[in-house]
Parts: sequence; structure tokens; C-alpha cells
Amino acid sequence: MISVHGRKEDFPIFNKKINGKDIIYLDSTATTQKPRQVLDAITGYYEGYNANVHRSVYKLADEATEVYEQSRSNVANFIGAKDNEIIFTRNTTESLNLLSFTIGDSLRRGDRILITSMEHHSNILPWTRLEDRGVIVDYAGFDEEGHLDIGDLESKLKRETKIVSVTHQSNVLGTINPIDEIGKIVKENGSIFIIDAAQSIPHMPFRVRDEYDFVAFSGHKMLGPMGIGVLYGKYEQLDKMPPFNRGGEMIKDVDFHSVIFEDPPIKFEAGTPNVEGAVGLSAAIDYLKVIGMEEVRRHEKHLTSITLKGMEDLKSVTYYGPRNVEDRGGVIAFNVKDKTNVKRNLEKNNVKLDRLYHSHDIATFLDERNVYVRSGHHCAEPLMRSLGLSGTARASYYVYNGEDDVKIFLKSLGELDVQR
Amino acid sequence: MSWTYNDEVMDRYQNPVKNGRMDDCDIKIDEASTTCGDKVVLYIKTNGNKIEDMRWEGEGCILSVVSTDLFCENSIGKDIRSIKEIDDLAFVENFPVKISPGRINCVLLPLRAFRRGAKEK
Ligand SMILES: Cc1ncc(COP(=O)(O)O)c(C=O)c1O
Repeated sequence: MISVHGRKEDFPIFNKKINGKDIIYLDSTATTQKPRQVLDAITGYYEGYNANVHRSVYKLADEATEVYEQSRSNVANFIGAKDNEIIFTRNTTESLNLLSFTIGDSLRRGDRILITSMEHHSNILPWTRLEDRGVIVDYAGFDEEGHLDIGDLESKLKRETKIVSVTHQSNVLGTINPIDEIGKIVKENGSIFIIDAAQSIPHMPFRVRDEYDFVAFSGHKMLGPMGIGVLYGKYEQLDKMPPFNRGGEMIKDVDFHSVIFEDPPIKFEAGTPNVEGAVGLSAAIDYLKVIGMEEVRRHEKHLTSITLKGMEDLKSVTYYGPRNVEDRGGVIAFNVKDKTNVKRNLEKNNVKLDRLYHSHDIATFLDERNVYVRSGHHCAEPLMRSLGLSGTARASYYVYNGEDDVKIFLKSLGELDVQR
Repeated sequence: MSWTYNDEVMDRYQNPVKNGRMDDCDIKIDEASTTCGDKVVLYIKTNGNKIEDMRWEGEGCILSVVSTDLFCENSIGKDIRSIKEIDDLAFVENFPVKISPGRINCVLLPLRAFRRGAKEK
């Protein structure tokens, strides 16, 4: 259960005061805070097990390998995958780049990749790098409320479309995309289906399905430490793929001029892995499992719902993304109209524009009230361009946030609403 | 604590004194920060290497607008070189309110534009 106050007591950082006041952390989309259980697991690893994994034959190394592999099992179990389908990476970005430099590199001139206009840069740039070799990248659009335009996606899905890579939940609009429906369409077309789950797996129940070929996510966005990420890959896909990095660990046999690679997932984990990261992520998963992912989703839906309602009462505030909380996660991008009497000569052809406060000004204004929101383009510039904006402010929630945070946030926004 | 958006800052934001284009300028500098969406044009009128007048046009956050407007006003009568040599830290410290590290680039926008675009004769 998560009470309406959130679970701050498990998170040591919330004992910290800045300017003598509690911190209101509303930037979990960027990264999450860590519970005591995760911090203890990390020190516990170094105090009790540390040795290099998969290499040595002595007991301590066996134990280190065991906790590392147990962490992998825990991740697999959390999303309904098999252990050998879980590759540890640094983060979502590296997971997606791994795919670009393996299956992406096998594409030829005229092949197409379909993504959406609401992707994070880390699900755009690994694909547009292939344009140099004549691969075409298409973007499926979204409607005014930020729902993915499935008709547009279908019409852009061509015979030449080899890869479709879609975010499960937008890190700006909050939109939850219907990945099962999309997966079906993609599979009928015979394309590879990749899901950027960086913003979904931390916040809602998630099970891999047959239509999903690959799923990427980050540990640090789900209460785990930084520097550990995951790539789920269907085993038959992983088995066909060439390795990404090469070096220690990932080989069965090396001769002067030849090599036999390990089987997946080790084939994709060259070099000493981030064992403390895997152990920390596993502890984070244990923490989330005790709460239950349905409960996490319920709590965030509740906070989102009171936030949207509160924002609707503030005349100068506009938020983006779906109005129905069933269709969105606890990420709320917004802007505030600048009602100050600005006597500047900025308007094109003297037409008075509806001026917005710059998102950094909103964030600094809130920062001075200890309310921490993100501002800018959120690593999604094409999305910002589609919205006709250069940036937004963004608040996002997680298990430690409560109604009290929402109240202070809305009250502070209200002060901006009436300023001058 | 001091508030970033105090009266001095907000007054200048609302009533900038050097805003507006200058048709007979000697130097025109276009500056855009793609990450912030800020776009500023500096218009400079010179007499030798001295700044005779400076105005600006554009769109940005409160801090970059106020900093640019102050920069235009304070630069008048100064030498191009002496302005280019202003230290970043000193420039930020001279701003009327204390700035958090994340916002320093906003304040530095006009100085950087000037350094890049104002050539000595
Ligand atoms: C939807 C989405 N994809 C990918 C990423 C990249 O995650 P990371 O920086 O952990 O690689 C993010 C992070 O903000 C994200 O929100």
C-alpha cells in the first residue's frame, strides 16, 4: 500500500532540508530517488561478496557470480522473461544503441525504420545514424491530445520497414501507447518490434509478450542505481545477432585470429559488468514487488488526477498530453502564460502573441519554493517542434510523492499565476 | 534568501530600455540557443572601437532578456576589447540577483554573443 502521503520514510534523501525546508522532488522521469533497501544492498554486496564474476574459481568469486545471476533472474521474473533473455547494459540509451549497432547495422539502402514523433532522443539518434547508409527513418505522428495516431503508424508501415521502435510511455506527454495493438500490426508486417520502456516498466505492471522482440529500460528510473540498464531480447533474436562490444567475459574460445562467442546474454556483456548495479536494481525490484505494480500505478494515477484538476483551475496554466488519466502516466508537462505587461517589441508584425513564461523561469520560480521540476525540451526536440514549443516545465511522480507534494506544487504554481 | 524574480529584475523584464531594432548599426550579431529556444539579435553602433549604442531584439527567458538589456545599456561608451575581456564569473556576479549554477548560461548569453560577433577594427 502507498498512503496518500507517499513512502518518503524509506528514502533517506528526504531527511535532507534545503533552506530549512523539505524538498519536493518532482523529477522522477529524469531519475528516481533510492530507498534504504537499495542502498543497503549495494553496500551489502561490497561488504559481503565483491569479486569479479564469471572468471575465477574460488568461493568468493562463485558467490559474486551467484548474486549477479540471481539479480538477472529477478529482473527476468519481474517482466515475465527467461533469464537468458536479460542483458545488463548501462541504461536505456545503451540498450537501444546495442540494437542499432547489431540489427541496425544489418539494414541496407532502402530499408525503413518506423518510430514516432514522441520519442526521446535515445530512441531517435540510434536510428537516424543509419540514414548515412540509405536507411529511411519514418515518424508516426500524434493527435492534439498527444495520442499516437495509429492510422498514421499503419500507413507508414511499409514492406521495407524492418524495425519499429516505439516508446511505451512518453516522457513528456505522459501518453501510454497501446503497444499490444501496435505489436500485432507490426508482427503482421513481419518487422522487428522494439519497445522503449524506460518510463513504463518503473510505473506499471509489465509482462513481455510474443510480439515484443526487444524491450529497453533503465535501473535508475525505477529506484535502482545509476549505470545499470536492461535490454530484454527474445532468445531466438539474440542468438542470431552479432555481439556489440568485444573483449573479456563474452567468449567461449579465443585463438590468435578467431573467436567463438558465448551464448546470450553473456555474448552481449563484454568486460567486467556492473555487479553492484545489478544487485541494486534487483533490490529495487524487490521493493517494488512488495508494493505491487498495480498499486504504484493506482497511486500515480491518483496524484496525476488531482494535479490535472488543480491545473485546470489555474487560468494561465496549460498542460499537455491526454486528459484521461487512464491513458497517461504521472508525467505532466506544462507551461504558464506570462501575463506580465511586457513592453517589448518582439511580436512579429506587431501581432500580440500569447506569451508563455520560459520553462526555465518556471523551474527557477518553483526551485525557490523547494519544488523541483524539470524544464527545457526533455531530450525530445522533435516532439517539442511538433507541439510548436521550445520547451515546457514538467512535473513527475513516483512512490514517494504524496498529496502534500501536489498541494505545495499547485500552491506555488498559483503564486506564479497571480504574480504581477 | 533572495528571490531571483525581484522587482528590479521584473521591472526590466517588463520595461526593457534597449529593446528594439537599430537600422543603422555597424555590427549585427545573431545568437540562438537551440537547447533553450532563446533567440537574440544584438545591434551595435561603433565609433572606432568604442560602443556608441547597443540595442537588442529577440525572445528568451527572463534572465537572458534582463541580462541582455543590462548588457546593452552598460556597454555604451566602452571599448570592444574591454567588454570581450570581462570574466564570466565577474559578469554573473554583477547581475542584480544571485543565480543558480543551472541558469548561468542564461545570464552569459549576451556576453558570449558579443565575444563571438564583435570584431575590433
Ligand atoms: C522514454 C525514455 N527513453 C529513454 C530514456 C533514456 O534513458 P537513460 O538516460 O537512462 O538511458 C529516457 C530518459 O529520460 C526516457 O524518458
